[in-house]
Amino acid sequence: MMSLPWDPTERDNMANKQRGEGTSVEKKAENKKGADDFNLALDSSDDEAPEEVTFEDSKARAVESLKLALDTARREKELLKEKRRKRQEFFQEQKKKKLLSADLLEEIDSVPSKKQKQAEDKDEEEEKKKRKTKKPTGVRNLKGSYTVSTVTDRGQSDYQRQAAEDFIQSRLYGPGSCRSSNNEMLSLQNKTRADKSAAVQFVKKDWACKEKAKAEKLKKRWIHKQQILTS
Amino acid sequence: MGEFKVHRVRFFDYMPSAIRSMAFNSHTERLAVARADGAVEIFNFADNYFQEKVIAGRDGRSIEALCWVGCRLFSAGLDGEITEYDLENLRPRYSIEAYGGPIWTISGNSEGTLLAAGCEDGTVKMFEVLEDRIQFQRNLSRQKGRIISLSWHPSGAQIAAGMMDMIRIFDSETGHATHRLLVDRGVGASKSREVVVWSVAFLNDHTIISGDSAGKVQIWDGLTGTLIRTHLVTKWDVLVLAVSQDESSVIAGTSEGTIVQFQFISSTVGQQDKLWVRTRTFKNHSHDVRALVHTDSAVISGGMDTQLVVRPLLDKVEKNTQESALRKIAFPHRNLVSCAKKAGLLLFQFPDHLELWRLGESDRNGTPGESLPVNRKPEKLIQLKTKGEDHICCSALSPCGSWLSYATVAAVRLYRLQISSNNISIQKVSKLPRELKSVHQLCFSSDSCRLFASSSFSSVVVVALNQTDCKYLHTLKHKSGSRQPIHILSPSEDGQWLATANTDCEIHVFNLRKMKLHCSVPAYSSCPTAVSIHPTTGNLVSVHADQQIFEFSLKQKEYSEWSRQLQRQGLHPLWLQRDTPVTSISFNPNNPAHIMLHDVFMFCIIDQSLPLPEAKTKFYNQMILRSLPQPQRLRESHAFKTCKNFQHLLSVNLLEDLSLVVVERPLVDIVAQLPAPVRQKKFAT
Repeated sequence: MMSLPWDPTERDNMANKQRGEGTSVEKKAENKKGADDFNLALDSSDDEAPEEVTFEDSKARAVESLKLALDTARREKELLKEKRRKRQEFFQEQKKKKLLSADLLEEIDSVPSKKQKQAEDKDEEEEKKKRKTKKPTGVRNLKGSYTVSTVTDRGQSDYQRQAAEDFIQSRLYGPGSCRSSNNEMLSLQNKTRADKSAAVQFVKKDWACKEKAKAEKLKKRWIHKQQILTS
Repeated sequence: MGEFKVHRVRFFDYMPSAIRSMAFNSHTERLAVARADGAVEIFNFADNYFQEKVIAGRDGRSIEALCWVGCRLFSAGLDGEITEYDLENLRPRYSIEAYGGPIWTISGNSEGTLLAAGCEDGTVKMFEVLEDRIQFQRNLSRQKGRIISLSWHPSGAQIAAGMMDMIRIFDSETGHATHRLLVDRGVGASKSREVVVWSVAFLNDHTIISGDSAGKVQIWDGLTGTLIRTHLVTKWDVLVLAVSQDESSVIAGTSEGTIVQFQFISSTVGQQDKLWVRTRTFKNHSHDVRALVHTDSAVISGGMDTQLVVRPLLDKVEKNTQESALRKIAFPHRNLVSCAKKAGLLLFQFPDHLELWRLGESDRNGTPGESLPVNRKPEKLIQLKTKGEDHICCSALSPCGSWLSYATVAAVRLYRLQISSNNISIQKVSKLPRELKSVHQLCFSSDSCRLFASSSFSSVVVVALNQTDCKYLHTLKHKSGSRQPIHILSPSEDGQWLATANTDCEIHVFNLRKMKLHCSVPAYSSCPTAVSIHPTTGNLVSVHADQQIFEFSLKQKEYSEWSRQLQRQGLHPLWLQRDTPVTSISFNPNNPAHIMLHDVFMFCIIDQSLPLPEAKTKFYNQMILRSLPQPQRLRESHAFKTCKNFQHLLSVNLLEDLSLVVVERPLVDIVAQLPAPVRQKKFAT
């Protein structure tokens, strides 16, 4: 908001500058033209005596041109001054606006604290409405049939997170990390303890139930096979 | 002591989450611990390592680093966000996306004005710490490859960053990298693998110490960027480093579960030239050590085996004292089990679901120590999964077993249960009062028609329940001005009182008939870990983190005579030396003189009618008493009867039919479910 009214003036300024340059070029061209004309005139009438220019005349002209130059300089200065003044005014106004808005905000803030109950009731109503419509969170209705919603596309970050987790996993538990199993560790502890005992899978009955069931099944099958072979 | 029929419950598959990161605040003596499921726990080291606060995690929040800035706690994780926590309301205050991909580390400078975050995309991002939030300031010059670890020079002028295959030193003013220290890869097959600098430490004398995935701890000169010394510590990874406050000692945690200490000492006595010398090795973990803190007197470590270990350095503490004992904190200091005493139901709280079980039954009686055959096996009635991503922070089951409630950071949910012999129905109560939000603790009254919920600013919301709906009644407030969360709610059996305890060590008692504050118990310096009101005498019994027991009469509003006598005489040394807090107190309706307490390793009945034990008498004397004749037995017996038959207790409850429910979780069962440890060769196995 700040830069919006400010921008065009700058652009104008630049345009002015360019325009100024343009005019000077034109002037030069005119001068040249004049000179050419003068040459032509010389060519056409070379026996005519050169026009007499009195000292006063030339002085007057020089003074005039000087005046003109001064004038333009002054005008430019004034213009610049005015521009600055305007900008200053604009800033001040903006400041005022800001102050005013803060006051307003405070007022607005102070109002609901007095009538909190009402606000709460309203909130409740709003909540009810929300519940009724069951809108996804972060969606806001605008006038007309437009809605604004935050982009909840977390696909990229999820992918990155997954990659990072995979990195740790591969570093700590991947190939070449020389890991054993908890079973082995606990069994080693049992073996090297002062009071030695068997590996964990034999000590704890509920350990590795699936493997034990499978072993049991295989054993039965093996016995069955043996019986068939002998009979 | 009495005999009980005991339900020995071992079907609560409680599985703690691995410790991922820790940060210690030496001013407040609080340790923040981040777990792999995104939960953050605060331990008070000034108060017997009591677990004061737990902030529940969330699906997808994986914390990689924690950092204290003053009394504010920040975390960062692989979700790419920096989060500040609201330690009064036990929830994340806000999260800021760093826009650099997953964040591997954060570190604050010594002044507490800047936070540096090391990101996956190779940037070190500086955040300015403002009063109410943090704001992105700038990036240091971007590198190729992720930034795994960061360490500020104490002056704040430089930052060392551990990366893949190298360490970079940045000038924090200009943001340019000034040095590049190349880290050797491992030998043999791992030569082709990039080495990861898991941790760096930048010391005041510009020494940089690094720990890497090749198992080396290396010491560098940060001014010239040259390697001074390499210590090969392990065949696996050195995962974490920690430096003591005075920078004379560095500890390194490894995948093997060992912690190696290095000290800055002269190699021969009397010489001036000091070296970093490897001195001690501690092995307190079975799995990888992933988080370390070096305090002035102890090494605190945590890792994949989920236990927090405090190992005092014996040259810094007095020998053979309470202070010099090794501490392992394996279980939470709060209840995860709620029991419906009348209905014989158990509710187990997991991070993302709840389980409701019906206890088994046996109609036979046996001799003490005998196990009875069960007629009906215990059965799981309901498994209730939470909605949304937030994990459960508290849950409760009403004594009659017809209400179930749980709370997450975002919401409270209440369910109505109807359980007959073969028909179970669960129905969500859809319209809850608006006041039920930001809840830290839930509790039902003994007649199951009130729900108490501790809310922000140490207030308690009272909600009335009946068949059709639930209605907001009142918010109980006290005037002490404490904003700390309430961690214990304890209503009395007759429905007249409600006792609350908060982490400011205050206990307040409210009169529920008049709905106002009745009295406040005189403040004691240690935080209460369990509070309960006696059903008949109306005395409030509280046990504190330093194991002290108090009894406070609510009628006279003063400590009872028994409590005064206990304070005069002092508790038995063996009682005071226990290292886990008492997490629940209950009373035996048949014998009003009995107070039943339990911690992780024992279950105790205090008989108030018997004399208190002297310091010299034998504390665990039940076996001796059994062998003595009756008159001598009476003379020898004292008030404390302990039972250690059950270990790793998560909960002990007395049902209405006077049978005990004991919920155990053997450590071996937890170890069985942990990720794989490293393969170690033991001689002759």
